[in-house]
Amino acid sequence: MTPYGGVGIGWRREIAGFVAGLPGLRFTEVVAESVPAQGPIPGGLAALRDRGVAIVPHGVRLSLGGAEPVDPARVRHLAQCARTLSAPLVSEHIAFVRSGATEAGHLLPVPRSRDAVAAIVDNVRRTQAELPVPIALEPIATLVEWPDDELSEADFITEILAGTDAMLLLDVANVYANARNRGEDPTDLLDRLPLERIAYVHVAGGAEHDGLYHDTHTDAVPEAVLDLLAQLCRRHRPPAFLLERDGAYPPAEQLRADLDAIADAAGVARVTA
Amino acid sequence: MTREDLAARQAALVAALVSGAPTPDGFDPSRVRAAAQALLVKRAGEVAAAWPLLRTSFGSGWSVAFTAWAAGRPPNGALRDGWDFAREAAAAGRLGPLAAADLAEREVMWRYDGRSAPRRRRWPAYRRSADGPVVQVFGRVVRPRGRASSRSLRSRGPRVP
Repeated sequence: MTPYGGVGIGWRREIAGFVAGLPGLRFTEVVAESVPAQGPIPGGLAALRDRGVAIVPHGVRLSLGGAEPVDPARVRHLAQCARTLSAPLVSEHIAFVRSGATEAGHLLPVPRSRDAVAAIVDNVRRTQAELPVPIALEPIATLVEWPDDELSEADFITEILAGTDAMLLLDVANVYANARNRGEDPTDLLDRLPLERIAYVHVAGGAEHDGLYHDTHTDAVPEAVLDLLAQLCRRHRPPAFLLERDGAYPPAEQLRADLDAIADAAGVARVTA
Repeated sequence: MTREDLAARQAALVAALVSGAPTPDGFDPSRVRAAAQALLVKRAGEVAAAWPLLRTSFGSGWSVAFTAWAAGRPPNGALRDGWDFAREAAAAGRLGPLAAADLAEREVMWRYDGRSAPRRRRWPAYRRSADGPVVQVFGRVVRPRGRASSRSLRSRGPRVP
């Protein structure tokens, strides 16, 4: 198992060269579903693993928040990824992505009810039983809100963590997006979450369309998200920070600027030089 | 809310987001519309990455053309979504020559029934495309008239299918 820390960026095939060329990189993440179930892992990833960069498999299609039990084959694949990559931990979302045979194609919110908490806790425990390493759970950004939410977001997340012993993957861009679209102050959530449970932090770019903030992962990281990251680190500094970029890949200069801005906001060393 | 209720309500939300079903009771319809549109734009980006020549064929009109087609159709993954869209666009004469050649080559390499994941063909296959016949023999694409395969023109697309 490879120790992780500092600032990293999600490994994607399109920016594999850029990621491999970051001199200070100790930590990256790969979308678990993009790692082949059989055969060799992508060459660039294997090289990073072999030079001691920690690689966290990040699942996006386990559907831990689905009403039905998690698919054992998907759980096995996530566990296999962790072993192949010598990962220190894995991560997944507090979300559902399909209903029966219909795929949504994206992460959807679960109602913040006690029954939903029980369903998620059950699915996380089934997953943990197969995993060789700990799991960190990530609350998502959402544009739609369930009409019958019983719990606050902080209580919902805290109860799931308490019921599973999982760690927290806190995405400050998601916290910012939800607060802005709900007309709330994003630091209120920071004050009510168990920050010491954070395994690492996600940071991503977004943009506003028609009065709503969209967590696109295809835009630069806004100043407001960096400010929230700094606010988080003033309360408690987690061990690692990861930039997610998922398309419309900009020149390396822009990615470097985002990574440096994250390091500066978090008060940790830059990895670009 | 029991597990069955949760399943039913999740199904209703997914149907509203990807199948064009009405907004379930209690949800803000404008938010559901915004989320459905965001999902369509995300799909357009994923299909563009899986079908770069198809995307290029539509130029700046790609996102509008694809999202108009995809609205109300649940996603089947970027490969199949792009394939279904390309077949309809080809039938309507809306594909540029490179995208048409790309589609013809995928059709001779893979058997795709429109309902399940494409499977590699085990036998030779033949298609006519706008600029000549496309033949697959022993897993290789042959163009009897000597034109270069569109594969060589694809710079950074993921491995086909």
